[in-house]
Amino acid sequence: MLSRTHFIYISACVAAFSPSCLLSFSVAAMQVTEAFKHAFLKQMLLGFQASAVSTNSMGFQERKNAIKLSADVAMAVARGSRKWTRGLIAGLSEEQQNRSFLQLILGEQYERRLMKPCYSSWKIPRCRKIVRRSLRVCCRRQKKKKNQSGVLARTLVEKRTQQLKRLVPGGESMDGFSLLDETLDYVLSLRAQVDLMQSLLTTVESSKLRSHSKRTLPERKASYVGK
Amino acid sequence: MQGLRAPPDDLSVLERQGACLLNWQQQGREQSNYNPRGGGYCRQMQTSFQALPSGCGGEKNANHGDVHGSIDCFSNGWPDLANIRYPVHGAANVEETSITNVSSNSSRKRKADKSPRSKEKENGGGGKGDSSCKRIKEETGGGATSETGQPNKKEAASGDASKKNDKPPKTDCIHVRARRGQATDSHSLAERVRRERISQRMKYLQDLVPGCSKITGKAGMLDEIINYVQSLQRQVEFLSMKLATASPLMDINIDNIFGREINPSCKSGSTAMIGMSSELLDQSYLRFDSLQHPHPCSGLDTFMDSSDLVLRQNVNPPVAVPDASFGSSFDVNGCSVWSTNLQSLYGVDFQQGRGAALPF
Repeated sequence: MLSRTHFIYISACVAAFSPSCLLSFSVAAMQVTEAFKHAFLKQMLLGFQASAVSTNSMGFQERKNAIKLSADVAMAVARGSRKWTRGLIAGLSEEQQNRSFLQLILGEQYERRLMKPCYSSWKIPRCRKIVRRSLRVCCRRQKKKKNQSGVLARTLVEKRTQQLKRLVPGGESMDGFSLLDETLDYVLSLRAQVDLMQSLLTTVESSKLRSHSKRTLPERKASYVGK
Repeated sequence: MQGLRAPPDDLSVLERQGACLLNWQQQGREQSNYNPRGGGYCRQMQTSFQALPSGCGGEKNANHGDVHGSIDCFSNGWPDLANIRYPVHGAANVEETSITNVSSNSSRKRKADKSPRSKEKENGGGGKGDSSCKRIKEETGGGATSETGQPNKKEAASGDASKKNDKPPKTDCIHVRARRGQATDSHSLAERVRRERISQRMKYLQDLVPGCSKITGKAGMLDEIINYVQSLQRQVEFLSMKLATASPLMDINIDNIFGREINPSCKSGSTAMIGMSSELLDQSYLRFDSLQHPHPCSGLDTFMDSSDLVLRQNVNPPVAVPDASFGSSFDVNGCSVWSTNLQSLYGVDFQQGRGAALPF
């Protein structure tokens, strides 16, 4: 009797929470909001202006790098303050040539972020004694039961985790759980970045086509003033 | 997200739930409805309960002996549960995982209680004083739950189990339910919580990364995630390359873009359009001033060109927006802000002596 009622109670709780579970995931999915798009586009165009991407003085590679830099900074700024955004900006500012650009774009925020300790190279500190002890325990355990498949699976996971840490900016200093969390966020932002850049590209190209097909500017102006 | 609000004091809610449970029992339906099918029952409850907020109180299926009939009493006895929305990103997940773990056990063995807990009140009429279960519960909201929860959990896991009672109610408390036949020491419990959270995150990622629904191993999933992240990064590179080829004309076209994109979504007409481009241009002008741009006149020239183009947009009917999402991202909300920028826009314009043709 007791178990039954408790079980029902628990399941009712689950039922109560499951709609909010869906909601919570949609919260995660909804982080690509209008505000994000706004901020991203604004920041990117500011970046374009600041790096003078439209002038013809730059070479192709240079221009491409400047655009990519603007896009990355825009994504980091639009997202706000997360571990991967801080890692991204820290990683970008490691190169000397980017620093002036970043200074321009971010203004005083950049100084503030620089003041914070740079986490991209921070490794989780581990006491040597504890590490040695745990290794001994692990070896002893492995001697007891030779679980080859388990070891193989674990090393695979380890390798992949290392690879993921290299991909996600600022990932070196994260542990397994927060790495997954940041990856989730990073993937969402990347997707939004790709979509927004794609739409920017299509509008630029279509407007270029339109402007090429029209008459020259002064003629147009004269005709409109007359209307 | 309108339904989100911070949950009320947990104890009172759970006390209420306990009272409602008793109420529900008294209606005498549990005999027919209880079905020890474990997860299936749980799911059924979930689906029917999800229908509850929409169809609350409307159904009176007294004939059914199954779960759906019992929802009526839920609507009477559990009014609060339908409205509770936990804004916590991680909270509900953890709750769900813990409870699905619980429900997956068809029977639970009662273990000797290690120490009295202050939160045991929520057991209500269950009278589970003889069980040594700790329950997962996260009280506060915010995205930092997962981070703050972990140190709390570790703290609890390392010390004695009874130390959890000393925590102030505001901080996150994670109580873990011990499963039958599993070790109940704090380390393995903490590890299990950690593993559950990781699997929860993996599930989210599975939904996010396309084509991942069939892969069930952690290594395979990580592989897919890595591939997806790499492909997205490559796409960004490719798109920036394409933008680089298109960019020599971008200066004028950017303002043109904004002029055109605003038009379909903006009802208030030309002022908003001009305002939008002016806002951006003002900011960029501020940048130019601080930069001491080497070609100040070229900036103004493009500005003038853009204003002419904006003019052109006013007169011409707008072309179909190539990407709806692009246009929708620019809202009319900031119109009042933009109108203040108009003064500076026209101030610069008049200096050039070209302001006559600009419409208002």
